[in-house]
Amino acid sequence: MTERHRLRSFGTLIQINGLIPIRTQPLYLVNLIASPLSFLFFIWIVSRGADLAFGLMGGMVLTMLSVGTGLQSDLTHYRHDLKFQDVVVASPVEAPVYVAGMAFSELVYSLPGLAVFVILFVYYGFATWTSVVVLTGVLLLVWSFATAFAFTLATYFQDVRETWMFSPIFSLVLTVLPPVYYPIYYLPSWAQLAARFSPTTYAAELVQGAVGLVPISWSTAVVDWVVLVGFTAVLFVIAGVKARWKDP
Amino acid sequence: MATAIRSDHLRKVYPGSTSGSAALEDLTLEVPSGRVYGVIGRNGAGKTTFVRITATQLALTSGRATVLDHDVATEERAIRAQVACVPQESRPLYFLNVEEVIYLYLKMRGLDRVEARRRTRDALDELALTEYRHRSVSRLSGGLRRRTLCAMVLASDAELLFLDEPTTGLDPIARRQVWEAIRRATHERRTILLTTHYLDEAEELSARLALFERGRLVLEGTPEDLRSRVRYPYRVTVLGSFPQEELASYGRVSPIEGGVLVFTREPEARDLARTALERGNRVSMGPVSLEDVFLEVVGRSIEEEAPPTEVEW
Repeated sequence: MTERHRLRSFGTLIQINGLIPIRTQPLYLVNLIASPLSFLFFIWIVSRGADLAFGLMGGMVLTMLSVGTGLQSDLTHYRHDLKFQDVVVASPVEAPVYVAGMAFSELVYSLPGLAVFVILFVYYGFATWTSVVVLTGVLLLVWSFATAFAFTLATYFQDVRETWMFSPIFSLVLTVLPPVYYPIYYLPSWAQLAARFSPTTYAAELVQGAVGLVPISWSTAVVDWVVLVGFTAVLFVIAGVKARWKDP
Repeated sequence: MATAIRSDHLRKVYPGSTSGSAALEDLTLEVPSGRVYGVIGRNGAGKTTFVRITATQLALTSGRATVLDHDVATEERAIRAQVACVPQESRPLYFLNVEEVIYLYLKMRGLDRVEARRRTRDALDELALTEYRHRSVSRLSGGLRRRTLCAMVLASDAELLFLDEPTTGLDPIARRQVWEAIRRATHERRTILLTTHYLDEAEELSARLALFERGRLVLEGTPEDLRSRVRYPYRVTVLGSFPQEELASYGRVSPIEGGVLVFTREPEARDLARTALERGNRVSMGPVSLEDVFLEVVGRSIEEEAPPTEVEW
């Protein structure tokens, strides 16, 4: 397969799993931003607007993670119920092209939701060069590791119902319990230590620091970036080694 | 004649198999290129396992298999560039319409827009799907969905097509439309590995056939070969009364409504037919069908498998 063919396959997968479903069922768009907007609304009401910024940052991280949970369900459904993955395996389309196409198609869903958050982000005056760069980098890393994690898991699930069970746990462990929607210093010290096991803690710390919500030193920022990039790289390696493109 | 698929002592045991029994055992066969090769057998005989291994969807346990001269274990990429597959029980993506299923599959395989459009149009036409082209898959009957999948892979540029029970659920007319499309594909020198439970379909389409039973290859050859290799290659239908004790000496006797069906060898078949006609019975005679072969071979296997029915106390 040449690079041009790969690009064509990639674009077609985005069309198949992203653009066409949105055309046929626009409610998919609402589905993906329902949770982040609910959290934002809740935080806005309870804090009387004071913690809105935390809601915005957390909402963007959660939206990117939702891409991963959505991908996990879609891949499992396509693999077991429709046997679409078997059709793709027995074709020139390579596994990385399939995963990238599917991951970008999920991103297409999340773009309108993300746009809502970006508009609020700019409206409330958080947009500076630094915050935009940090936010973009962090969100891309969150999307990347969520994608690698989702793909690996999806190749092990035997039924789409298993993903329904797993998705809320995924959200709970990665967005609700870690300090994504609030500063880490709200947690008791033992919980702060536990939160360090979640990659989203580092992501949230970076974006919260970039917009001035929490103080962040250069050394902490460097450690946060290293952990995030390292974690993403490890998940990609695991996906490469453990994900089952061909059944054992 | 060139070989499209070659398997050599192929063995497959699924990981975690509680019985530890192999889904494929010591399977050695060659699929010639440019023809339809039929694989028949009971449910669980290993047909789909064989298709999935050779279509590079499933790893083998031991032995070797090559597809289009490439090893399935080490050269998957080269194989995948030249194959297409309709998996068993697969369904098209329900939110696409019929035309999109075919067109986007072709584009996904890397075909350019113009070529994909042309092939889509031809496939829709060939499988009588043109009138449904804008209909959403979610609103199609099971048979039309299956036909859409067949059109999808037949429209591809693949040299080798794996069709795992492609006509399940199709009405007789739709089945024949798929048969025609399959025949046309072989005119283009493409190879088709076909698994089916419809023995008439296997016989009608396949240049060669393999009969699998419990993971093993039990018969292989042209449909004529298979017929000639069973114990009784002829069948005689005798309608009306005929002494049972006389019939038993000819071969295997099965009662049917209004008479008997006797499986026997050719000279005995002629003798029985002549005798029965002289006694005023209605008689028909001919070579056994593939279904008869299947029932005899598989039936024998089931008998061997069955535990003794008499128990000593």
